Amino acid sequence: MDNLLEVRGLKTHFATDRGLFRAVDGISFSVPRGRTVGLVGESGCGKSVTSLSVMGLVPSPPGKVEAEAVLFGNRDVLRLSADERRKLRGGKMSMIFQEPMTSLNPVHTVGQQIVEAILAHSAMTPRAARARAIEMLELVRIPSAAQRIDDFPHNMSGGMRQRVMIAMALSCEPALLIADEPTTALDVTIQAQILDLLSDLQRRLGMAILIITHDLGVIAEVADQVLVMYAGRIVESADVNDLFADPQHPYTIGLLGSIPRIDVDRKRLATIEGTVPSPNNQPAGCRFAPRCPFADQRCRLDPPPLRDIAPGHQVACWKAPVEMAS
Amino acid sequence: MSSMPSNAPVLQVNGLVKHFAVTRGLIRRKVIGLVRAVEDVSFEIARGETLALVGESGCGKSTTGRLILRLMDPTAGSVRFKGKEIADLDKDSLRRMRRYMQIIFQDPYASLNPRMTVGEILAEPLRVHEIGDDASREARGRELLEIVGLLPEHARRYPHQFSGGQRQRIGIARALAANPELIVCDEPVSALDVSIQAQIVNLLQNLQQRFGLSYLFIAHDLAVVKHISDRVAVMYLGKLVEIADKKSLYDRPLHPYTQALLAAIPKPDPTLRTKRVMLQGDVPSPFRPPTGCRFHTRCPHAQARCSAEEPALREAAPGHRVACHFFETLPAPTILARAGLAKGKFAQRLAAFEAAKAARTPA
Ligand SMILES: Nc1ncnc2c1ncn2[C@@H]1O[C@H](COP(=O)(O)OP(=O)(O)OP(=O)(O)O)[C@@H](O)[C@H]1O
Ligand SMILES: Nc1ncnc2c1ncn2[C@@H]1O[C@H](COP(=O)(O)OP(=O)(O)OP(=O)(O)O)[C@@H](O)[C@H]1O
Ligand code: SF4
Ligand SMILES: [Mg+2]
Ligand SMILES: [Mg+2]
Repeated sequence: MDNLLEVRGLKTHFATDRGLFRAVDGISFSVPRGRTVGLVGESGCGKSVTSLSVMGLVPSPPGKVEAEAVLFGNRDVLRLSADERRKLRGGKMSMIFQEPMTSLNPVHTVGQQIVEAILAHSAMTPRAARARAIEMLELVRIPSAAQRIDDFPHNMSGGMRQRVMIAMALSCEPALLIADEPTTALDVTIQAQILDLLSDLQRRLGMAILIITHDLGVIAEVADQVLVMYAGRIVESADVNDLFADPQHPYTIGLLGSIPRIDVDRKRLATIEGTVPSPNNQPAGCRFAPRCPFADQRCRLDPPPLRDIAPGHQVACWKAPVEMAS
Repeated sequence: MSSMPSNAPVLQVNGLVKHFAVTRGLIRRKVIGLVRAVEDVSFEIARGETLALVGESGCGKSTTGRLILRLMDPTAGSVRFKGKEIADLDKDSLRRMRRYMQIIFQDPYASLNPRMTVGEILAEPLRVHEIGDDASREARGRELLEIVGLLPEHARRYPHQFSGGQRQRIGIARALAANPELIVCDEPVSALDVSIQAQIVNLLQNLQQRFGLSYLFIAHDLAVVKHISDRVAVMYLGKLVEIADKKSLYDRPLHPYTQALLAAIPKPDPTLRTKRVMLQGDVPSPFRPPTGCRFHTRCPHAQARCSAEEPALREAAPGHRVACHFFETLPAPTILARAGLAKGKFAQRLAAFEAAKAARTPA
């Protein structure tokens, strides 16, 4: 497949006074052109650090990003100059964040901010950039865009601000959009609008999307392929239909079982006992072993590699596929 | 309170109203309007029952919860706990009554005093209500920790030494300390990861069975609510738009807003991915709620009458009330597709997961 982004052996560590935080610890994945890859996992597992590492936005120090390669197109972005990286960001590679209020500047109108983003990456005149900004706001379905463009962020609802962020991120026609929890702060009816908007824009503009979320429901709605992350590692990778129909990693199985659902009646929710390990004190073997009902001695000692278990389906578990003990 | 027959509701809320004044100016504060946070809300909760209160951000759920516990004064309306009007109580009686009505908050971080040990946190409500002596309170603290799945030695630690899920367990233990009958759970799992959320939901259900508790369970997540509630009340901009037993509400939602909320939940099943009918627009400001039916600006079925006349909460079936002029004649919503995932490989794997877990934990 034609991969737009290819990440090999990414490690991002933070040196803190409480020890070395291995936030992302040797992950590899790729994002094909025009497709949506979902990165899912619980709080603190390293999703945001992964996206910031790809964008080149990890603060250093304390952060240190290492990888065999992070290929975007055919270029290894880790080997670009700071200037070339800045050009890439917001241009061909763009990102939207979870909290739209903190990433929009409160003292400038949304129009000024979009225009600035456009001018930073193109040779347009300010007038043409403003026309383009209005066009972008219309694209993300902001009603009366020509008027709302002069609003300040605080005069807009949360859903509208998130749409402004999307408009800004898309204004330079990125080939890759990284969306870090783009709907988590929003109400469900607004979340549905934003997810629908993203899918629609992807169909029309053909960009690739890496969407980051802790919500497997969101993944099921929008992703083509899924990466399940646990404690800094990818534990399962599969086509979205395979992941939900035939989950292989015990963590994925437990996670799917613990989601309350409106379409399935269950007396009791499944639970995964215990809590996520701290990134400065990771278990030696499989990082899920302390919580895994299938764990044995090998699991506790040796970290399982990510291996093929079916075509296009990888899992990092010694025991997969797990079956009922007879 | 022993004069109440046992099948009488634990809680009766009638015509509850809360308006907040919106002021401007620092020196001469001028009231420039009212936020109608809660408008004429009525419901009952029976003993051992869970009523869920759901709706989007800002619709008035937390305010309703606080009014019930009298953590703030209502603008109008009545709250009766086991038949007694709370507004009539003097300070002392109110304090005594509070022993039986507790609250668990969304944010397990902010709601525990960081300078107190867990043991002190758990003894506090007993001290306030003058129950027992130091030794018996300490013993009760250890017992409570066990009840919520923590260890007795955790009593000596401070809140920051616990994870989010553990802190929420401490919050639950504190609420249970003085043997309450009603607990207002204000989004108790919203801030938690799903795997931890499931632990807490199961714990709340176990405690309810064990102690016959009644819950007002506030949430914005209709999926969690389906799991934990007996009846569900849906709020929009300060008003109840629908209230029904769980089965009716999920099988046959009658209000267009309830239908839209159910349709909007992302379902963790990619085979159910369909083009949904989506609610357009944003939630209007409660500062200037729309005229007539407050939902008419977003309702796909709105007609002229909707913006002119406010719909009453009318009975659709016994125990099922709906505030929509046209619910009798609206097209039935597309019934939720039943997931195929309940069967097949995933179900087998989950069964294996549960079996392996059961084999490890001694019963
Ligand atoms: N600047 C930093 N210094 C030290 N540790 C950091 C830093 N940034 C992130 N971390 C740590 O790296 C780990 C992964 O964090 P990350 O933000 O990627 O999690 P996440 O999966 O995005 O979680 P969430 O769902 O809560 O957003 C966390 O344990 C976090 O504390
Ligand atoms: N002390 C206050 N002063 C003024 N307005 C208030 C106050 N408390 C709440 N409000 C307003 O009342 C409305 C209802 O708020 P409430 O906190 O009850 O909503 P909620 O349904 O709990 O929302 P969320 O899901 O965000 O917690 C909101 O518009 C809010 O801004
Ligand atoms: S009353 Fe009218 S606007 Fe309100 S929900 Fe019913 S049909 Fe829609
Ligand atoms: Mg994050
Ligand atoms: Mg609230």
